Amino acid sequence: MSRLEKASIGAVALMALAGAAIFFYAPTDFLQGAVQRIFYLHVSSAIAAYGCFAVVLLGGAIFLRTENYAADRWARAGALVGVVFTTVTLVMGMLWAKKVWGAFWVWDARLTSTLVLWIIYAGYLLVRRLTEPGRQAARLAAVVGIFGFVDVPVVHFSVTWWVTHHPGPVIINDALPPEMLATFLFTFLFTMFCTLVLAAVMITIRYRIETLMDLKQLVPSPVQVVITREPEPVQ
Amino acid sequence: MNPFRAAIAVARKDLVSEWRTREMVPALAQFVVLALLIGNFGFQIDSRNAPSIAPGILWLALVFAGLIAFGRTFAAEREQSSLEAMLMTPASPVAIFAGKALAASVLLILCEVVLLPALWLFFGTPVSAGVVLAVILATIGMASLGCLFAAIVARVRARELLLPLLTLPLWIPFIIAGGQAVQSAMGLPGSYDQAIGLLIDFDILFVVLTSLAARFVLDE
Repeated sequence: MSRLEKASIGAVALMALAGAAIFFYAPTDFLQGAVQRIFYLHVSSAIAAYGCFAVVLLGGAIFLRTENYAADRWARAGALVGVVFTTVTLVMGMLWAKKVWGAFWVWDARLTSTLVLWIIYAGYLLVRRLTEPGRQAARLAAVVGIFGFVDVPVVHFSVTWWVTHHPGPVIINDALPPEMLATFLFTFLFTMFCTLVLAAVMITIRYRIETLMDLKQLVPSPVQVVITREPEPVQ
Repeated sequence: MNPFRAAIAVARKDLVSEWRTREMVPALAQFVVLALLIGNFGFQIDSRNAPSIAPGILWLALVFAGLIAFGRTFAAEREQSSLEAMLMTPASPVAIFAGKALAASVLLILCEVVLLPALWLFFGTPVSAGVVLAVILATIGMASLGCLFAAIVARVRARELLLPLLTLPLWIPFIIAGGQAVQSAMGLPGSYDQAIGLLIDFDILFVVLTSLAARFVLDE
């Protein structure tokens, strides 16, 4: 078994443990009931998504400076995994919102900025799909990744200034008895740790796939060249 | 070579070529009038609800006119491969980019010269200096982002598909702050000064960022 396979099994086992902690160990919310258990994975996957997009930003910036293709592959891997985690955040948030706010979607600061985040990085993946792989594509995608990362706090700030319904980052609540607060905090931090491990393993796997795909690009089979060859644009 | 003079020269070249062909501005002007027409049928506008609907139609028309204008920014350069020639001159890529963005924003402002009076004529909403200022401030930032991404997608196969997908999410801050400014200038509640302040902040942020990024998009 390779190191990566072991890591994958470990990440899945950790997520199963986190699930057990969420459903059997964490206290039930007094007001919201069981649906509040969405919180643990909802916030964790949002943080994991931000981590992934930070990888895109760093990978893009390093590529622009050094032209190191490994950095570009990390950026590609981070974008894909980040979009997956953003999707998880959005879907779980919508389910929670339906129960608590009465509607799947409200135009709140965080919802809007998370949707914009999703759209920007889905656009990043489209840029990768629609450009011929190579130096040009990597540079363009790096610029998109950097602008996407800058735009999200800006969007968030402008919509917060506009209107917000979303609760702030409330973790510590004095009204909770200390032992309940401890179980709550433990479950949250443990779920976050497991999700981050999962994200890291997923990015590493994707990085390996991107590396193999790049190798294939370098040595294309002759038949493929004939079929996929497009006419050069008239210069 | 003085970068400011280079930028002005590039902008002048684009504007002269537009003046000689007169393609973009009439097309954009007709496009925004059509957008107002569609807004009229889509919303059932009367004198009471016009002030709350008109700002939305204004921004929709402006955003899509902007996408058309910036999508064409590099069209002539692509068709005649003149971008490579321009990059071979001693002018820095940033100056070339700034010139193209300047010309595109002038074209978009010309289209606003049609859009705002048409909005006043058809919907009866007041078009004050406040509305004009908000729209022009938003145009500056939108032009810098729009031109950068137009340069990015100019060499991509599906550029018509990609330009709106990449540009629209990045324009959202301008639409939020600009929308707020126009609404309060048209008499709806909201702080006008704060919205204008935000627009200026976003303009500075994105003009600086796009100028930094232009080097990586335009070189070679």
